[in-house]
Amino acid sequence: METLIFLGPPIAISILLSVILGYFGNHILSRGIIFIDIAVAQIAALGTMIGLLLGFAEESFGLQFASYGFTIVIIGVFAFTKFANQKIPQEAYVGIIYCIGLGMALLLAERIVGGSNFISKTITGNILWTTWTDVLFSFLLFSAIGLLHFFFQKPFRAISKDPNHGDSLKQTRLYDMLFYMTFGIVIVKAVPVGGVFLIFILLIAPAASITLFTQNWRKRLIGSWIIGIAGSVLGIFLSYSLNISNGPAIVCLLGILAIALTLFVIVKKSPVEKA
Amino acid sequence: MDLIVFMAAPLMATLLMGGILVYFGIHVIKREIVFIDIALAQIAALGGVVALIIWPHDHGAHGHEGGNFLTEYLFSLLFTTLAAGLFSILKNKKVKIPLEALIGISYAVATTAMVIILDKGAGSDVHIHDMLTGAILWVTWGQITRLAAIVFFVALFHFLARKQMTGLTDNYHNHDFNPAKKKLWDFLFYFSFGLVIVEAVQIGGILTVFALLMIPASTILLFYSSWKARIIAGLSLSGLLTIPALWLSWTWDVPASPVLIFFLGLALVVGGIIYRLKSR
Repeated sequence: METLIFLGPPIAISILLSVILGYFGNHILSRGIIFIDIAVAQIAALGTMIGLLLGFAEESFGLQFASYGFTIVIIGVFAFTKFANQKIPQEAYVGIIYCIGLGMALLLAERIVGGSNFISKTITGNILWTTWTDVLFSFLLFSAIGLLHFFFQKPFRAISKDPNHGDSLKQTRLYDMLFYMTFGIVIVKAVPVGGVFLIFILLIAPAASITLFTQNWRKRLIGSWIIGIAGSVLGIFLSYSLNISNGPAIVCLLGILAIALTLFVIVKKSPVEKA
Repeated sequence: MDLIVFMAAPLMATLLMGGILVYFGIHVIKREIVFIDIALAQIAALGGVVALIIWPHDHGAHGHEGGNFLTEYLFSLLFTTLAAGLFSILKNKKVKIPLEALIGISYAVATTAMVIILDKGAGSDVHIHDMLTGAILWVTWGQITRLAAIVFFVALFHFLARKQMTGLTDNYHNHDFNPAKKKLWDFLFYFSFGLVIVEAVQIGGILTVFALLMIPASTILLFYSSWKARIIAGLSLSGLLTIPALWLSWTWDVPASPVLIFFLGLALVVGGIIYRLKSR
């Protein structure tokens, strides 16, 4: 019973993360820009480091503001590097922005006390330290974003399906801006909790696993939620009983599942085609 | 004079890496599998860590040059080969998701598996940090000789098999393209790429390798469409940028890899602006 009380907030937050990230993951997968979350997370962390350098206190409003500011600027760049006729896949730009962000963070880390520690923290995170207040705040934030996406579900899905959709490039860019901005807010909120890799795997692995079997949007959504929630709850209990870190446990569990399912689909003789 | 003596080795190493990586970069961008180099690098590192767990170092005077170095290297190579095999199997038309997603997932699993393993030992932070930045200014001539040998053989192989290699990449998204022994050539592509990555990451770190792979290749892909022109332009671009970057990192006394990344990034921005102006 005590275990359950202790693990309550981490389980609650990982369920929330599974739901919102599972949703975004299906968009990201359809758009083929897998790297983007690591890039956005890295830029957010870079913003935080620059805020620290400017003298803002840790967890202060100014620091969060710096982090969001950076994220929004970089998301603007993503939305606008989408040209009508592309020679270089957008993924390459995303990767390069990630690389430059991490490089600058490493350069700055030498000027901040404990900067190196900060970089490892963005890699691993720690969901065991989550409190119920965090859970409540995240719930409210994610619900608001979920509601917004519910209103704009048609244009968002149309663009994810076909990148050149829309009446004009300008309109597409505007929707993209909104999409990436809300995505950025989720990532900035989620990375300090779970770390870059847990967020990445919750985003991609459940969506990838289910998309192997069905192309139907509704089934994909429900499937990724089930896989994500089951994987993270199981991962938390597993890490607790084996005494290993929880984030990495969930990542390995969901990641290996996705790769195993892919191999299964390849080995299987007749692929089941669904509309 | 001291400067020249000191910088000769890092310059040599960066030019060698830059040359071979720009070539692979063109393949990687054309195939849209940007994640793969980080994934292979990370899997190679995981192999090294696994070897370390099975046969622990005696932390004595030997340091990294100890007797276990060969086993670590062989394990890195073994893991990279397995991953190369896995990636060529996963590329299958029955799979309805981008290969990039699976490569990214392998990357995340390899990194966190390493964290789980290293958690049990000490100094994990240091190991992860080293993996990212490398120490290119401290490269030894022994490392350079090995790098040069590997670059030479891989380049030779790719030159001899240029038809197969460029054919595979140009038709990467075309499922009807089925030349003889397609899977074997694809495996050889990933395997030779893995050989280079294992070597280059030990010298330059993941970040430098990634930058040399992606940024010059992206810049020249804006302007050239024949393989020959791309390779020549890419080699010249990364060669030209390496020299001032290393020189500045030396005179300003900052780590080499971020400065190099900054220079390469700047060239891409300039290239992008020129391209936009020209296409108007």
